[in-house]
Amino acid sequence: MTTAPPPGSLLTAENLRKAYGPTLALDGADFSIHPGEVVAVMGPSGSGKSTLLHCLAGIVPPDSGTIMYDGQELSAMNDARRSALRRSEFGFVFQFGQLVPELTCVENVALPLRLNGRPRKEAERAALGWMERLEVDDLAKKRPGEVSGGQGQRVAVARSLVTDPRVLFADEPTGALDSLNGERVMELFTDAARSANAAVVLVTHEARVAAYSDREIVVRDGKSRDMERVV
Amino acid sequence: MSVAQWARDLAMGVRFALTGGREGWTRALLTAVGVGLGVALLLLTTAIPSALDARHEREADRTDITWMDSPAPPKGEDTLLVADLDTEYRGQEIRGRGMEPEGPGAPVPPGLDAVPAVGEMAVSPALRELLESDSGKLLRDRLPDRITGTIAEEGLVGSREFAFVRGAEGLAAHLGDYRVTRIDHFGASDSASEGLDPVLLLLVIVVFVVLLMPVAVFIATAVRFGGERRDRRLAALRLVGADGRMTRRIAAGEALAGSVLGLLFGTAFFLVGRQLAGQAVVYDVSVFPSYLDPSPLLALLVAVAVPTAAVLVTLFALRGVVIEPLGVVRTARPARRRLWWRLLLPLAGLAMLYPMIGQGREGGDFNQYLVVGGVVLLLIGVTALLPWIVERFVARLGAGPVAWQLAVRRIQVNSGTAARMVNGVAVAVAGAVALQMLFAGVDDDYTRDTGRDVSRAQMQVTLSDGMPASATAGFASTAGVEKVYAFSEGSVGDRRTDPESSEQVTVGDCAALREVVRLDSCADGDVFAVLDPSYESDIKALATPGRVLYFDPSYGDDEGARVAWTVPEGVKNARERVGLTANTTTGFLFTPAALDGEALAGLRTEVYLQLDRSVPDHQEQVRNTAAAVDPLADVMVWSATEQSEKFTAIRTGLFVGAACVLALIGASLLVTQLEQLRERRKLLSSLVAFGTRRRTLGLSVLWQTAVPIAVGLLLSAVVGLTLGTVLLKMTGTPVRVDWPSLLSMTGVGAAVVLVVTLLSLPPLLKLVRPEGLRTE
Ligand SMILES: Nc1ncnc2c1ncn2[C@@H]1O[C@H](COP(=O)(O)OP(=O)(O)O)[C@@H](O)[C@H]1O
Ligand SMILES: [Mg+2]
Repeated sequence: MTTAPPPGSLLTAENLRKAYGPTLALDGADFSIHPGEVVAVMGPSGSGKSTLLHCLAGIVPPDSGTIMYDGQELSAMNDARRSALRRSEFGFVFQFGQLVPELTCVENVALPLRLNGRPRKEAERAALGWMERLEVDDLAKKRPGEVSGGQGQRVAVARSLVTDPRVLFADEPTGALDSLNGERVMELFTDAARSANAAVVLVTHEARVAAYSDREIVVRDGKSRDMERVV
Repeated sequence: MSVAQWARDLAMGVRFALTGGREGWTRALLTAVGVGLGVALLLLTTAIPSALDARHEREADRTDITWMDSPAPPKGEDTLLVADLDTEYRGQEIRGRGMEPEGPGAPVPPGLDAVPAVGEMAVSPALRELLESDSGKLLRDRLPDRITGTIAEEGLVGSREFAFVRGAEGLAAHLGDYRVTRIDHFGASDSASEGLDPVLLLLVIVVFVVLLMPVAVFIATAVRFGGERRDRRLAALRLVGADGRMTRRIAAGEALAGSVLGLLFGTAFFLVGRQLAGQAVVYDVSVFPSYLDPSPLLALLVAVAVPTAAVLVTLFALRGVVIEPLGVVRTARPARRRLWWRLLLPLAGLAMLYPMIGQGREGGDFNQYLVVGGVVLLLIGVTALLPWIVERFVARLGAGPVAWQLAVRRIQVNSGTAARMVNGVAVAVAGAVALQMLFAGVDDDYTRDTGRDVSRAQMQVTLSDGMPASATAGFASTAGVEKVYAFSEGSVGDRRTDPESSEQVTVGDCAALREVVRLDSCADGDVFAVLDPSYESDIKALATPGRVLYFDPSYGDDEGARVAWTVPEGVKNARERVGLTANTTTGFLFTPAALDGEALAGLRTEVYLQLDRSVPDHQEQVRNTAAAVDPLADVMVWSATEQSEKFTAIRTGLFVGAACVLALIGASLLVTQLEQLRERRKLLSSLVAFGTRRRTLGLSVLWQTAVPIAVGLLLSAVVGLTLGTVLLKMTGTPVRVDWPSLLSMTGVGAAVVLVVTLLSLPPLLKLVRPEGLRTE
């Protein structure tokens, strides 16, 4: 087993283990991703995909194993450092329920910038730019409760990109959408990520969604395995 | 719409409430406990009038000494001599009686089978406990009789009352003393109850209304516990085909179940509380559990009103909510709140109170219904106005840091929820502010300056008639006594009976006399007279040497000692000074050697004591000495001011009640707060996932409660001041704002919210752990 990360990789994990009580969610999973690369994490429900994503993003500390981000040991950082990293270098899209219902869409998108201390006006201008690219700028003044699921996810994608993150984490971003809407979101999402040169960790159990990736990893029973790309 | 359908939907709601899994019955339980607490408080309040009645009746039944001039019955086979031996022990009042039957038919006091023999006494259970405990040792010295009996419930006005009855002898010799009387039956013939004066009655009414209003608000809040989850459950029902009306009826059924369960809980709480109340003593007042019987009509009213209100509140709350199969939609932009009907309530309240303005104490009774109606409407006005004001206020709030933005936006979208959260506190504070003002305003009327100089003497002992001043020697050696000023006091007249002019007589040693008049020189044997008093008097004529005056002359039927005394040569002049009591001493003053025993017999001995207050139990030591010197001695502790006891009791009641109500409101706030946090768990977790600091989240929760509470407290201060002003005007008292109490009341309200927020922070931090991100 090599201890050095593969050359040129941005985020690497080795031999991750994570147990929730008796449940072994991760059982020696490995992972690596290069800058600008889109990696799909596939696997059946309950196999440990979300847990892997949470560990990689520094949301959940693994029980054992190492995670290196850009030459730094993630698991050695304290909570404040990891939070700061998530605010400035990472972006997130979840399945649903992540937009603050009381804030307007543009305020939601601007939120990560504001958390980083950017003034409101400036943050909202940047937010509008991203909303335009995801074709939801007309929803700026609406609240999340007043827009459709697909529109909401696109707003969430805009929000994940607004800080110009180097890694995007998406956990079943289209899980709650119909296929047409889902494809549109995926198209806009991967296009935007590629043009921003952001790496994407895309958790999904749908092959159709995974097709937008450069590479696929399958998680089964907490173990990960690289898939040969079949074009 | 058939009745059957209604019943079916309601029943389904009830079933959901009781069998809806863990979540379902947690919600039902929360509501039930909340409603139960409110109901218990309501029942307790409805029981208070009858409890007071019961106490009053017991008091009347055992009345012996009436202080009235009703002629005492002649001595007979059926008469009893009674002496008032009331005393106090460490601030605790003790009712005491000495009793001496004059024949076999003498009446026996309620609660006893027989009058105790001399050297024996019967005590109340609470007093027995005290006497047998270590802390009662000093009191035992004062009451050394053998305990041979227990005073039963019929002879007591409270379960924790301290009372004793001891056998006595020789009381007939003291019949002239105001503390001894002869009776042939117990019980006041006409139970002339000392009615509350209109202002005190007004206070009581307002205290009740002010304490009960927040309880009502609290019940309304409790009914909505878990409302958001319920809405989601109802949405699931819509998915399988329930229509909008059905979901509403099902929700009503759930509320019904919760409130009926709450009634049961409330009854149980009340019964437990009633039992506990038997153990409790609130400022010297205790009750027997049997006193606390709610009047059936009021209890029925509570039983009907609470479930009805629960259903109505639920339906009202669902007004702006559309439950769709795929989730709950709050009507996108709720109609702007209208002001006019909200203003109507407080204005109507003011209109009801207005006619009574300026009526004053002399104006007779206030119309109780108008008072209650007016105060209730004004306070309900707070709950009606608050959502409107919160909405208008937060609509203007601009941007700020992220925490502030999150909080403000949330209030803007949900101003109703925000207002509801602080409603109870606002009503309680408004009422309390008004009451504080009223109390402060009428305080002066009920607090009397006693005019006593408490720096020179702190206790006064009055010996019974005929006790010589020499008997007071024991006080000098009593622990804690620094100085003893003993005076024998009485009067002299120019004639044996019905004198035309009379003068005060004071006997004491030189040191004592100098405390009450100014003397140039003094030696034992001297006689003084205040020859130039500040009022018109015949003293100069009376003080002519050789003139015969009579000590203790008799007036009318009242027999005096009537001892002749010839004014000697060399009466010295004394000048007035500020004495120990509020009265100035005038007339004749004697040093002990200047009078013989015969003249002294007609005087009453007063002892004033200067105490070393650092000696523990100095008051009890003095009381013990007094009891040993003269069982009929009357002991008073001096204070510079004196408050009407009833006034103090009402004020105390308010504080106790307000504390209970605020605690209750705080609890409901906490439940609501936690529930909201749990609802938003996933959202909060995702915010943390993308890097939001926990401090930001904590602050936003704080702002989220602080902003509405600030608005609420402002409103309640305004309404409270208005109500206070109106009440003061009603009692004809000058209006004065009592800023310290206003600030302290609003401060207490703010503190409640702050504490609740702080208490909800640990759960918040626990909730936003990554586990919250799991989607199921
Ligand atoms: N917070 C948690 N507490 C307990 N068990 C968990 C928790 N998170 C995940 N699990 C368990 O770990 C396993 C993997 O979960 P997850 O990573 O969410 O799978 P996936 O995202 O692939 O569906 C599952 O068996 C799940 O029940
Ligand atoms: Mg998952």
